[in-house]
Amino acid sequence: MSLEQYAGDMAMCCRCSACKFIPMQKVKGAEFSYACPSISRYNFHAYSGGGRVNIGSEMLKSGMKYTDKLLHVVYNCQMCGACDTSCKYAMDMEVLEPINEFRIRCVEDGKTNPALVKVIASLRKKGTMLTDATGKRGAWAEGLGLKDATKEKVDVLYHVGCLTSYDKNMQKLARATAKILQKAGINFGIAGDAETCCGGRAYQMGYKDDFLAQAKKNMAMVKKAGAKTVVTGCADGYQAFKVLYDKFNLKGNLEVLHISEYIERLIKAGKLKLKKKVDLSVTYHDPCRLGRLGEPWIHWSGKKIPGDRFVFDPPKPYRRGAKGVYEPPRDVLKSIPGIKFTEMTRIKEYSWCCGAGGGVSESNPGFAKWTAQKRIDEAVSTGAEAIVTACPWCEKTFNEAIKESGSAMKVYDIVELVEKAI
Amino acid sequence: MAFLSKEVYKEFEDVVGEENICDDPAIMPAYYKTEFAAVILPGNTAEVQALVKLCNKHKLKFRPICTGWSGMFPKGIILFDLRRMNHIIEINEKNMYAVVEPYVISSELQAELMKRGLNFCIKGAGTNCSAMLRGHGHMDQTTSGDDRNHLAIEWVTPEGDIVRSGALGSSDDWFCGDGPGPSLRAILTSAVPPGVTPGVFTKASVKLYHWPGPARFPVVGHSPKYVLSEIPANMMARYYSFPSVEKMWQAELKLGEAEVCYELMGFNAAMVAANITTCNEEDEAMFNRLNKEVQGPGFFVIIAGNSAEDFAWKKKVLQKIVADADGKSLKTVENPEIEGILMCQCTRISASIRETFRPGGAFNSIPIMGQRDLTIKWAIGAGEAKKPLIKKGYIVDDGGAFFGWGVEQGHLGKTEIFCKFDPRNEEAKKAVEKWQQEQTRRAFTERYFASTMGPQNEIGPALSNYHIWWSKLVKALDPNGVSPEGGSLV
Repeated sequence: MSLEQYAGDMAMCCRCSACKFIPMQKVKGAEFSYACPSISRYNFHAYSGGGRVNIGSEMLKSGMKYTDKLLHVVYNCQMCGACDTSCKYAMDMEVLEPINEFRIRCVEDGKTNPALVKVIASLRKKGTMLTDATGKRGAWAEGLGLKDATKEKVDVLYHVGCLTSYDKNMQKLARATAKILQKAGINFGIAGDAETCCGGRAYQMGYKDDFLAQAKKNMAMVKKAGAKTVVTGCADGYQAFKVLYDKFNLKGNLEVLHISEYIERLIKAGKLKLKKKVDLSVTYHDPCRLGRLGEPWIHWSGKKIPGDRFVFDPPKPYRRGAKGVYEPPRDVLKSIPGIKFTEMTRIKEYSWCCGAGGGVSESNPGFAKWTAQKRIDEAVSTGAEAIVTACPWCEKTFNEAIKESGSAMKVYDIVELVEKAI
Repeated sequence: MAFLSKEVYKEFEDVVGEENICDDPAIMPAYYKTEFAAVILPGNTAEVQALVKLCNKHKLKFRPICTGWSGMFPKGIILFDLRRMNHIIEINEKNMYAVVEPYVISSELQAELMKRGLNFCIKGAGTNCSAMLRGHGHMDQTTSGDDRNHLAIEWVTPEGDIVRSGALGSSDDWFCGDGPGPSLRAILTSAVPPGVTPGVFTKASVKLYHWPGPARFPVVGHSPKYVLSEIPANMMARYYSFPSVEKMWQAELKLGEAEVCYELMGFNAAMVAANITTCNEEDEAMFNRLNKEVQGPGFFVIIAGNSAEDFAWKKKVLQKIVADADGKSLKTVENPEIEGILMCQCTRISASIRETFRPGGAFNSIPIMGQRDLTIKWAIGAGEAKKPLIKKGYIVDDGGAFFGWGVEQGHLGKTEIFCKFDPRNEEAKKAVEKWQQEQTRRAFTERYFASTMGPQNEIGPALSNYHIWWSKLVKALDPNGVSPEGGSLV
């Protein structure tokens, strides 16, 4: 794909500003009606989905006119896809895809962000997006007796992800996941020190070639392990394996599940029983890459039918965010005894981003925390004691915002609560 | 090129802060295809006033905008993006008005109002537009439209004075647009050229109406296919088609006089199809299906009862009037799933983009407020004139249809006709512009109405030379010519 291929889509933008808000039917008042962190924080139209595609459209015609401000616009976006979903309520056009292609073009033209350059250097050197990663990737699993999927045949490969593997505060999620899978009697394994980054975040940051290199490494490893199913605990990893690898025809028949989907399946199959009471009132945050951006890729090629309407031969099916993973994590939470569940205003396909995506947590941590704090405020408005998520990046960013604001809101990953209940 | 010197830029920056001004050409295409001198984001009335005064000091032209869409933007103009002015100042339930800043969108205000059993006039442009926008909308039978709904207004004049109209001119209250205090109703118009009020509207009070529906529609499912989990027990939505335009008009008029419709929206089949479908292919197929199902022109109706008895009575009256005019209910809309989402979308005005921009990417229209029977007769001709363009593939096939609705249960109403087309097709664009000019001129020469979109030197003399008076007024208000395009509420 290339920016040029989205010229028609970008020309469709009518600047209606729907991309700035959640779908209009879902607006419940003056609060929590905004969808896009970037325009909400920086206010100039250029920071909205519509503004971005209009810039893309113009620069396709007149050439890429890079300025510091343009690069600020480009890199201060979590690539969360909220604009895409809101636009596609009414329009038939791609929004996030050309925005992503614009970033890729920036990287190809050497117009990069210094913080992201360091991240990519780390990826190339150490196979992780964490620039401060030290020690061995699989160290968290020491003493747990887990199978090494690079040496033993397993049914399920648990892809842990960079943050959960290296961040000492997040390793608890990997241990909780392993405990849950062990309790359910699953023949699973991890790749340990041989595991490498999924590459999804690199793609969001515009580094397509680095993403592809990671995707190929991962799929080779999966093939070697003989696993038919990959389970991820991280929404970025889920989107990478499930959607992006498929987009580039690398996934094959591999089944990709997020841990919340897998837990739901195990509960339904009677392999996992949640018996212990967890007295907690919670609300659930949909990670962007598990929700709207976790919608399966649709392979399509065709041509616009000449004439008045924007229609294609064959008809073009759009990914509109409806088919992400929304119910499994909710069903799992609701099946934990003692949990009182409340929804926030912005949920599922029109969920507000945690702030971490697109490299923003590295390039502009202040903006990431600002975005996270907005979500914490929304969680507080429900009266819940805790916000539960299903991605370590969300948990980390929420905790950073809470630390700064002094909020009493607690943050959990869904596996932490399931671990308490088994 | 930089339009502003460093010193002048600094003066503007000192008003709004470094973060809220930008003259980088790279961001300008995000707005419109012009070179702005700068885009500035004022946060309150005082900042707007200070910016306007600076524009006068340096003889710089400016234009304010809200959520976007369209406008005229000469090269080198300063754009005031009012996005930071996004607060609902007050909802006064007792006196039934709400005070808003320009970037409060209709959807936000309406959601707050519905919780309180209130509603307001949302313009047909859609709920994603400013709640301050003046115009007409789907609920005009109940909420009326245009300047009926603007009460007191806070206005920064082109010279930078703050004018508070209506009750606000003599007190701190927003309940009335005409007094005690200066009315200025004839000046504070904003919508139609050349009567586009210069300056910036910074706050406005809008009139509120009783809302008999739920505090919130029970919308379930996922975008783009939302549905209602249940239709409110006191509400019903139907689409009726009629054997002729005359019969439709007869029914519309009687329904208006009976005051039974919460909403009467003269959708054509193409607009119904656009509303209830989730993509262009589906839309086209649905339009073809509905075109076979309808017997002729029609309209969409929402009935809302204040009690079970009121609801039953309204339904009975509706059915009698429709039957007397040989109207036929569209079966597709009787499907509860479709009825529910149409009811929600046409109350929340949340699918205008599907009706206008989705099919081709752009649209052009001729809107007119006037005597419905006359404007309908004109619209039939304008619709016929669309057919050659449809045949050539320049515009989207909607059967040559127009649409409209009566306002205030009366004989006046809104009539409008669209041409939807691909903006990248220059031939189509030119053909649509030609159609627009010809049909506007025909409206005048055949004495249907005088659209101010038409040539001013021809239309003005027929309307007491209003254009000359308006020009004089604008010159008096804006002696430095810094606010040439107005458009303050859009």
